[in-house]
Amino acid sequence: MAFAPRGPEASFFQVLDRHRASLLAALRKGGGEPSGGGTHLASSSEVLASIENVIQDIITSLARNEAPAFTIDNRSSWENIKFEDSVGLHMVSHCTTRKIKSDSPKSVKNFALILKILSMIYKLVQSNTYATKRDIYYTDSQLFGNQTVVDNIINDISCMLKVPRRSLHILSTSKGLIAGNLRYVEEDGTKVNCACATAVAVPSNIQGIRNLITDAKFLLIVEKDATFQRLLDDNFCTKMSPCIMVTGKGVPDLNTRLLVKKLWDTFHIPIFTLVDADPHGIEIMCIYKYGSMAMSFEAHNLTVPAIRWLGLLPSDIRRLNIPKGTLIPLTKQDQMKLDSILKRPYITCQPFWRKEMEIMADSKMKAEIQALTFLSSDYLSRVYLPNKLKFGGWI
Amino acid sequence: MTEPSIEPRASDSQADVLFPTALSLWIKKLRENLNRGSTILKYLIIHWRCETARISKGALLEGELVISIEALNSKHQANTLHCVTTIASAGSIFGGLVLKKFLKGIQSILPGRSAELSWTSEEASYSQDVSGVTPFQMIFEVHEKPRTLMTDSLVIKNFLRKVITVLPKIRFNFSVKVNGILSTEIFGAENEPTLNLSNGIALVVNYQHYVSTPKFGTTELLCSRIHPVLGHPVMLFIPDDVAKMGLLGELILTPAAALCPCPKVFSNQLNRISSASIFLYGPSGLPLILPNLEQPTSTIFKDTSYFINWKKYHLCMVPNLDFNLDRDLVLPDVRYQVESSEGDQTQNMDPQGQTLLLFLFVDFHSGFPVQKMELWGVHTLLTTHLSAILTESHGVVQDSIQVAVDQALEQHHQAVKAHQKLQASLSVAVNSIMSIMTGSTSSSFRKTCLQTLQAADTQEFGTKLHKSFHEITQNRFLHHCSREVKQLLPEKNNAEQSTEDAHENSSLELLAGTSGQVEKKSLKRGSLCQGVEETRAFRSPRALNPSEAALGRAEPTAAPLTPRSGLEDALWLQEISNLSEWLSPGSAS
Repeated sequence: MAFAPRGPEASFFQVLDRHRASLLAALRKGGGEPSGGGTHLASSSEVLASIENVIQDIITSLARNEAPAFTIDNRSSWENIKFEDSVGLHMVSHCTTRKIKSDSPKSVKNFALILKILSMIYKLVQSNTYATKRDIYYTDSQLFGNQTVVDNIINDISCMLKVPRRSLHILSTSKGLIAGNLRYVEEDGTKVNCACATAVAVPSNIQGIRNLITDAKFLLIVEKDATFQRLLDDNFCTKMSPCIMVTGKGVPDLNTRLLVKKLWDTFHIPIFTLVDADPHGIEIMCIYKYGSMAMSFEAHNLTVPAIRWLGLLPSDIRRLNIPKGTLIPLTKQDQMKLDSILKRPYITCQPFWRKEMEIMADSKMKAEIQALTFLSSDYLSRVYLPNKLKFGGWI
Repeated sequence: MTEPSIEPRASDSQADVLFPTALSLWIKKLRENLNRGSTILKYLIIHWRCETARISKGALLEGELVISIEALNSKHQANTLHCVTTIASAGSIFGGLVLKKFLKGIQSILPGRSAELSWTSEEASYSQDVSGVTPFQMIFEVHEKPRTLMTDSLVIKNFLRKVITVLPKIRFNFSVKVNGILSTEIFGAENEPTLNLSNGIALVVNYQHYVSTPKFGTTELLCSRIHPVLGHPVMLFIPDDVAKMGLLGELILTPAAALCPCPKVFSNQLNRISSASIFLYGPSGLPLILPNLEQPTSTIFKDTSYFINWKKYHLCMVPNLDFNLDRDLVLPDVRYQVESSEGDQTQNMDPQGQTLLLFLFVDFHSGFPVQKMELWGVHTLLTTHLSAILTESHGVVQDSIQVAVDQALEQHHQAVKAHQKLQASLSVAVNSIMSIMTGSTSSSFRKTCLQTLQAADTQEFGTKLHKSFHEITQNRFLHHCSREVKQLLPEKNNAEQSTEDAHENSSLELLAGTSGQVEKKSLKRGSLCQGVEETRAFRSPRALNPSEAALGRAEPTAAPLTPRSGLEDALWLQEISNLSEWLSPGSAS
């Protein structure tokens, strides 16, 4: 094919290929596909039956002259979370619960709103149509108050019915972007090719995309949109071809996480993170790799424990002689966040991460990726990333 | 609470000056009130209270009194009843009464009336032990017109109702027998929830003492309590001319305001205030004003804006002069009614709106500043000059009352909002369930839903669904309502909330005219005979008075029973008719 993309020569990817082989070996040793052990997608009839069971329970309670209540797993308690290195943070099977009572002045409204959204989900699933959380909110913005209420209730319902949120036919708009060597077909038949100058928005219906095709050697998750745009401007995808870049623009939303998970499950290509050398960046990386407490009930569909930290490592700052003037002192909140991460259960099996975080804690300094422009404006895409990818500079 | 300070008398002559004045005022008051029974009971309880406070400070008065009035046609005067009133303790009375002191005191107060009152008393036993248990009995006789007796009975009943709402551990057994026809009633609030104030007073918070039961649907549930909000106590300034008459010490007034019935479970339809009632209590928690069948003479009571600035609440109040003694409710000292903005619609107003209850407790700041022998005089002076005292302290009194009323109304406002929020949430829940149920393509699911609520069709299912939710949540809210009471009470007032379950008073009222009632009469007569026998055990032979001896001798020559019985029934019905006619609002003449 004429004008084939100019990527690095084949030897550039030798270490990457060996890394991929070791990941695949670990998968086989781990007993096969991790998604097999997770929550399966529920069929429409299963969702409808679940909702009908909820209604029957309510009516049975009323017939017994008892006040109906919803029992929901407590999603905001660390005691309900356990860590497995093959899954990440996920909810224990017998966890503490909280009750949303219909006869308590404090919770009767929440009880009603859950029923309201259940009835809307019921219609969506029956008619095989989808709505966004925003659509739900605007059906009665005065009743719901604000969209956070809607989000929390939808998560509560997903948790209560033990059904992934996307099976409830409720979507959320995605803020994530994707670029590079990837093609797929959306649910409505649209063909998407991400190998173009501009990035593509992460689809809102990850479940529905199919026919994914890629030759990528790796997937790079970029924390910040500014960094992502910078790499696009530098034609990073062409220089490092074939590869894929994704950004969640900060804390990733559900769709972006689902996409990363789907790419890993489909292709098993190495996935690296490029985040700022600060506690916030580390937190975001942990969300991609191990998941979050709030969504731990759906960990199996959201976490990619194989993710590696490519940069910006705190030790890189010292190694590259980044001048102190470009560093930023840790705030009190930064230190609290760092301490919180260091106490999490997954840190014990990540000694190199712990070492990097302790370097940050000792120096009391943090650095943004933009600090590398001190060396040269395109140092990130021309020197830093290629060298790390070529010589295995990830942990 | 400090020890009550007793001021030493400068000389006996000073005491002599005090007593004639108090006595004169009391005699005048006695005539005005046309009621001796309540007055004597009031004196009795004051005396009892002093003794109890001496033995155990702050304790609630406890015990039972039996009050029995037996009236027979007088043989010496036409259209006059010879009434024998017996007041006796039933069992032990905590705190005790030193009977000799009591009798000496009561007789010293009544020298001018001794010709009409014959005192008979004796002690079954007398002990000086710490518990102060003293059974006692006292009997006095008067001649009264039948109408007066009826009025006295109603006044005594109202007095008892008013006393038990602040001294709930006292129990009264009150019976009236007129020419053989008996009616007995028991007054007590011992097992009812209370709000404990300081100084041995506890306010009963069961709403049924204060307003009639609202007419709700059978499925409606009520919180049976009022929830008084205590205002801060204020010092009352005593005018110089009143102080010169012997009313010394520091007076404080403590207001308590409540909405009745409890607004937390009141439906939206009836959540507006339609009337206000004010209850005045003096030292010892006793009513300051005995029911006065004439229109109230105090100007501050006619002035609706003295106690509360009604304009602040967009209400226009007018005095309500409808005195109805013949109801099982505590009679307010002052009553106001909301006047409609359009006068023509006054009669169309819904009488079942909410009532604002205002309790005003007047007491001495540091207990009893005078010896108990003089307390009666002080109480009388306070009653007589309450208007002057309140006028002098109008500003601080109204401010304190306003704060309490504001808080009570805020409760009301919050209750309305909570109720509306509940109704809105339940409506959303019911509509959502109906949407899923009717939209389901699973016939087994729909059938199961209908069967579970035993509904024949979807429409009935919806109705039952809403009703079930409503009933269950109302029950829970009632529970919350009861528990929330404690949070409403300021700690600085040493308020406590008794959470005992409400216990309804048992009361028996005899209605003549039916054969069933005749049987009941027979039973009660037997019961009374038993009582009479017990009563006689307290008497010594020399205690019999000449008229009673004459009655005994006349018995063999009595007329046949049947004609007399018919005559008695007619007399009773006539008196009831006269009383009703006299007490009706329309009888101006």
